[in-house]
Amino acid sequence: MSQTLSHEDLLKLVDGCLGQGKVVAGPTLVKPDLCAYAALRASDQLVLKDFIHPANSIKGFFFPRHEPICVYRLNGNDVELEDVDPPKTEQIIIGVRPCDAAALPILDHVFNWDYADKFYNERRENTTVVTLACTDYDDNCFCTSVGLGPAAEKGSDAMLLPLGDGGYEVRCFTDKGKALFEGKTTPSDKTGSASEGPARKIDVKWIEEALEDDYENPAWKTISLRCLGCGACAYNCPTCHCFDIVDEGDAAGGLRVKNWDSCQFGQFTVHASGHNPRANQGQRQRQRIQHKFRIYPEKFNEILCTGCGACTRNCPVALGVLNTLEALRAAAAPDTSEVG
Amino acid sequence: MDNVYKPELMEVLDVHQHTADVKSIRIKFKDPGKANDFSFRVGQFGMFSAFGAGESTFNICSSSNWKDFLEFCFRKTGKVTDVLWRLDPGDTIGFRGPYGNSYPMEEWEGKNLIFIGGGIAMPPIRCAIWYALENRDKYGGVTVVYGARTVGDFVFADELDQWAEKERTRVIRCVDPGGETPDWPYEIGLIPHVIEKARIPADNAVALVVGPPIMIKFTLPVLDKMGLAAKDVYTSLENRMKCGIGKCGRCNCGPVYVCKEGPIFTLEQLTQLPQDY
Repeated sequence: MSQTLSHEDLLKLVDGCLGQGKVVAGPTLVKPDLCAYAALRASDQLVLKDFIHPANSIKGFFFPRHEPICVYRLNGNDVELEDVDPPKTEQIIIGVRPCDAAALPILDHVFNWDYADKFYNERRENTTVVTLACTDYDDNCFCTSVGLGPAAEKGSDAMLLPLGDGGYEVRCFTDKGKALFEGKTTPSDKTGSASEGPARKIDVKWIEEALEDDYENPAWKTISLRCLGCGACAYNCPTCHCFDIVDEGDAAGGLRVKNWDSCQFGQFTVHASGHNPRANQGQRQRQRIQHKFRIYPEKFNEILCTGCGACTRNCPVALGVLNTLEALRAAAAPDTSEVG
Repeated sequence: MDNVYKPELMEVLDVHQHTADVKSIRIKFKDPGKANDFSFRVGQFGMFSAFGAGESTFNICSSSNWKDFLEFCFRKTGKVTDVLWRLDPGDTIGFRGPYGNSYPMEEWEGKNLIFIGGGIAMPPIRCAIWYALENRDKYGGVTVVYGARTVGDFVFADELDQWAEKERTRVIRCVDPGGETPDWPYEIGLIPHVIEKARIPADNAVALVVGPPIMIKFTLPVLDKMGLAAKDVYTSLENRMKCGIGKCGRCNCGPVYVCKEGPIFTLEQLTQLPQDY
């Protein structure tokens, strides 16, 4: 027996949670034609069909783009520091693509090795992630190439699988998922389904091997010639987690904040002396791909990529992980073009 | 759960100006409990806050044997150091740390130590020199080679004389040609040449070399010629950092996070890494 829920009951559940003061987020039209994950004011803003992938990822609900980490007050030659606690509000994110949810267990490693980031961890604790299995995919999707898929359970507390009639089969994987749907679903003999997902496009083993001694590969330069270094790939990536720490305030005091940053920015690694170890965009592209497919797997045994394709969809010059890897593979292939 | 990004408040005890643009600052924990609990190993670094301007990474350049205070040294070169430059005793700054690995001072016991530094790079060597000289019986000969562009560019210059007076300790100082004054009694020349001329015995020795990349590049072949193995030559990398604790994603050299697996590396380790430093 499966458990099912109609779309109307799901919307009631959303309104119920909103009524209890919880944050409920999900895919919504933030502008006409722009679907992105955002906090909802009412259930009718939730969009659960007719999109492949929202423009952004859900990482901002755990690791906000801009987050105070402490308050400082300047008082003559004295300074007062005040701890900042992340909001305790319970968060529910509904309609998450499996590739976005899968990023969470991957990010857990970096935010907890040796030093635990309480801001990330507390938000993670207070958040229930309800995924929506994919029934379609586009050219930019490559979840199946990185060991995931349209109904991958990684990082999900519960999953909605669309039924033909507009309702969902609900599968709960964790206590948080069970608590959310307890008493809301109906036993049924119907089962939801997901698409088969895109055919495998890249071989992860090949990438790891190709990146092994790849620091001086001239292909990086050719690939990145058209890169603008805008960082849209990193900001919309569910797994990119680089950040900056800066003080924002005035003569009386202010906030110390963590802000998203990106390895694609030219000043990211500049030394105080002016020397920059990654002085050109090719080196910065190499860093991003190396971090995802070699450095992170070596450290934490997980690829820092879920195949969501957001990097490519958001790239103004059609780069992104998939196209970069394909260009790298093309550069490595023996030249079979005819001479003359 | 602790806030790993929140600094401890430190009181500025003393400010010392070394050159036209280099100062060192002595600080202590405002919270006596923290001061008691704190310990570090020479070679480790900290994140130092000038509130309102931000945080910067500096080596803790005092010896780990000195329990009442910490010292760090910086060149006035950006937003944070501009504010640090204006500090007076009694002012407050922030400190997080200690972070990173350290010099293997136990492993170096019984060996001859060669310290080679250029310009502003003396502070991360100075902590190890003091540590070795304070445990003098444990180490063989100590040779310090310190070069600066001009006679006005030596950092901790007064301590060079103190070191030179210690037993089995040789201090060689040099300035780049043209950087000398008429009464400069020491060497004139670039560090690699001065080392070659000094005929420093390299048997049973380890070398710690810190300085600008160009100095390191030309010094390494000389050490090789002297017979020092790559595993016995150490340096401290200074990649840009923000968190210091392996999260913010910018200090890595290929697969190695300098903030956690460094900043101290042997030449043997460095040759395995891409030139991301």
